[in-house]
Amino acid sequence: MDNLAELLHGFTIAVTAPHLALMVVGVLLGILVGVLPGLGAPNGVSLLLPLTFGMQPVSAIILLSSMYWGALFGGSVTSILFNIPGEPSSVATTFDGYPMARDGRPTTALATAFGSAAFGALVGVILITFLASWVAQVALAFGPAEYFAVYFLAFASFVGMGGAAPIKTVVALALGFAIAAIGIDTVSGSVRLTMGVDELVKGVSFVVAVMGLFGIGELLVAVEEEFHARAVSSTIDWREVFRAVARLPRHGVALLRSAAIGCWMGITPGGPTAASFMSYGIARRFSRRGRHFGTGEVEGIISPETADHAAGTSALLPMLSLGIPGSATAAVMMGGLMIWGLNPGPMLFVDQKDFVWGLIASMYVGNIVAVVLVLLTVPVFAALMRIPFVVIAPLIVIICVVGAYSVSNSYLDVVMMLGFGIVGYLFKKLFYPLAPLVLAIVIGDKAEDAFRQSMLISKGSLGIFFANNLVTCLIVGGIALLLLPLVLQLTRLWRKPASAATETSVQEKVII
Amino acid sequence: MISRRALELATAVLTGSFGVAVVVSSLDNGIGWSSAGVDAGTFPFLTGIIVVLGSLYNLVRGLLPAATLANVPIAITSIELRRLAGLFVPAAIFVAAIPLAGMYVASALYVFAVLAIPRQQSVPRALAMAGATALALYLVFERMFQVSLPHGALAAFGF
Repeated sequence: MDNLAELLHGFTIAVTAPHLALMVVGVLLGILVGVLPGLGAPNGVSLLLPLTFGMQPVSAIILLSSMYWGALFGGSVTSILFNIPGEPSSVATTFDGYPMARDGRPTTALATAFGSAAFGALVGVILITFLASWVAQVALAFGPAEYFAVYFLAFASFVGMGGAAPIKTVVALALGFAIAAIGIDTVSGSVRLTMGVDELVKGVSFVVAVMGLFGIGELLVAVEEEFHARAVSSTIDWREVFRAVARLPRHGVALLRSAAIGCWMGITPGGPTAASFMSYGIARRFSRRGRHFGTGEVEGIISPETADHAAGTSALLPMLSLGIPGSATAAVMMGGLMIWGLNPGPMLFVDQKDFVWGLIASMYVGNIVAVVLVLLTVPVFAALMRIPFVVIAPLIVIICVVGAYSVSNSYLDVVMMLGFGIVGYLFKKLFYPLAPLVLAIVIGDKAEDAFRQSMLISKGSLGIFFANNLVTCLIVGGIALLLLPLVLQLTRLWRKPASAATETSVQEKVII
Repeated sequence: MISRRALELATAVLTGSFGVAVVVSSLDNGIGWSSAGVDAGTFPFLTGIIVVLGSLYNLVRGLLPAATLANVPIAITSIELRRLAGLFVPAAIFVAAIPLAGMYVASALYVFAVLAIPRQQSVPRALAMAGATALALYLVFERMFQVSLPHGALAAFGF
C-alpha cells in the first residue's frame, strides 16, 4: 500500500492553487489545439515546451499533460458536432457521434463521449498508480543489454501491431533513427551525418520534426478536402448531461472491454488512434446492436472514446517507468523531461518521487478539470469552428514557423520544419505511420547508447542479448513481433489468395 | 492529377535517397569494431541500409500492379493539387522572406496576402488581421516570453 501513501503525497503537490491554475490553462489550450484541425496534441505540447524551461519540472509536466487531456477531449467535440475529427484518434468517434448529434441529440452524444472518455482515463490512471512503480522496480535491475532489448521490443511492436504496412513502419522507424543520429555522437564525440551543413552539428530537434510532420502535414491533408463545417446545434442541456452519464453503467461490458483494449494499446506502443479503431471494430462485432452501428449507437461512441483515453493515459506508464513513450505525444513529453534535466526511466521513482507522484495525482484531478471545462466551453469552441479555414490555416502556419524557430533560434530549423511538412503529408497520404518516426527521433540516441554499451561489456559479442532469461525473452518476443506480419501474410495467402487485398485496405484506415 | 502509384514511387525514392546519403556519410565515421567499442558510424550505417532496403521494397511494390493500389488509383486530383499549392506556395514564400523581412513583417504580409488576394476578406479586414497577427507575435514572444524573433530589415530602423 506504499503506492497509496505516495499517491496521497502526490495529491498534496497537485492540488495547490498554482497547479490547479496550470491545469485549467493547459486543458483550455489543449481543447483549442484539439478543436483546430492541423494542430494536435503532439505539436501543441511541443509548442508549449520552450515556455516550460523556467518552471519546476512537476509544474511543467502538469501543464503539458493537462494540455494532452484537453486535446483528447477537444478532438471529440468537433468529431461529434461537425463530423470533422480534430485529432486522428477521434476519427472513430465520428462514426456514431455525428449521426446521433445530427438526429437532435448533441448533448447526449457529447455527454456519453466525455463520460466514457473520463472512465477510460480513470482506468488508465489507476493502472499507472498500481503498476508503474512495480515496473520501475523491475527495471532498476536492468543493464544496457536489457534496455536495448526493451527498446527493441517497443520498436518491434510498432511493426507487428501498429496496423500500418510493416515495411513502411520499418522505414519510418529507421528514418527516425538516422535523424536522431545527426549531430554530435554522445559516445565518441565525433560529428555524424551533417552532410556538409555545419549548423546540423546541434542535431535535429524532435520539436522541429513534430511541427512539420503533424502541423504542416496535417494542414495540407486538411486543406485538400474542403471543409464543410455544417454544425449541429451546440447548446448544452445540463439535465440531459447527467441523464446520459447515469445511463453509462448499463454499457458496463463495452466500457470495460474498451478500457482494456485502450490500456493494452497504450502500453505497447500502438497509440490512441489504433486503440479507438480497434475498439470500435470489436464493439461492432460483439454488440447485440452491432447492425445499427453507424447510425448513432451509444456503444459506437463509448467504445472508441473509452479506448482512446485509456490508451492516451496509459501511454505515460512505459514513459515514466521505462523511458519508452507509448504514443507520439508521450514521446514529445519525454523529450521535455530530458530537456528539464530529468532522466526518464525507473530512476525517476527513486530520485524524483515528488515529480512522479505529483504527475500521477494530477492525472486524476486534471481529467476531472478537463471534463468540466470541455462541457462548459463547448459553445465557445463550436463557435470557433465557424471561422473559415482559410483564415485559420495561415495562422497555424505562422504558429508552426515561430514554434520551430524558437527551439534554438535557428532559421535552418524553420526550413527543415517545412521539409518535414511535405514528408508528413506524403506519409499520411500513403499510410506511413508517423508515431514510430517521432518515437525513434526522441529515443534513438538512447537505444543506440544501450546497444553500444552492451557491446562494450560483451567485447563485441551478440551473445549478451541471450545471456539470461529476461533479456532472451525480450529479444525473442521482439523478433516474434517483427515476424508476425510476415506470418500473417503467409497464412492469408495459404488460405485465400484473393482476399489479401481487401484486408490491407481495411488496415490502412487504422494508422496513427 | 497524381496517381497513387506515382506518389508511392516518389516517396520511396525520397526515403531511399536519404538512406543512401546516410550510408555514405556514416562511412566517414567508421563502421565496425575498434578499440573504443562500436564505431560511431555503425548504427547510422545499419539504419541507412534498412532505409534503403525498405525503400526498395516499397518501390517495387509501387511498381507492381498490386490490387491494393488499384483501389485508389488517383491520390491527388487536380483540384486538390491546386488547393495544396494554394496553402503551401504562400507558406514557402513566407518562410523564404523571413531572413530579409523579419518574422513580424513577413507574417503580416503573409496573412494579408492570403486573405486579401483571393478576396476571402475585404482589404481593410485583411489589413486589420495582418496587423493583429504581427502585434500578437510581438507581445507574446518578445514581451512575455523574452524570445527574440528575427527582425530582418526592421533592425536597420532601430528595432
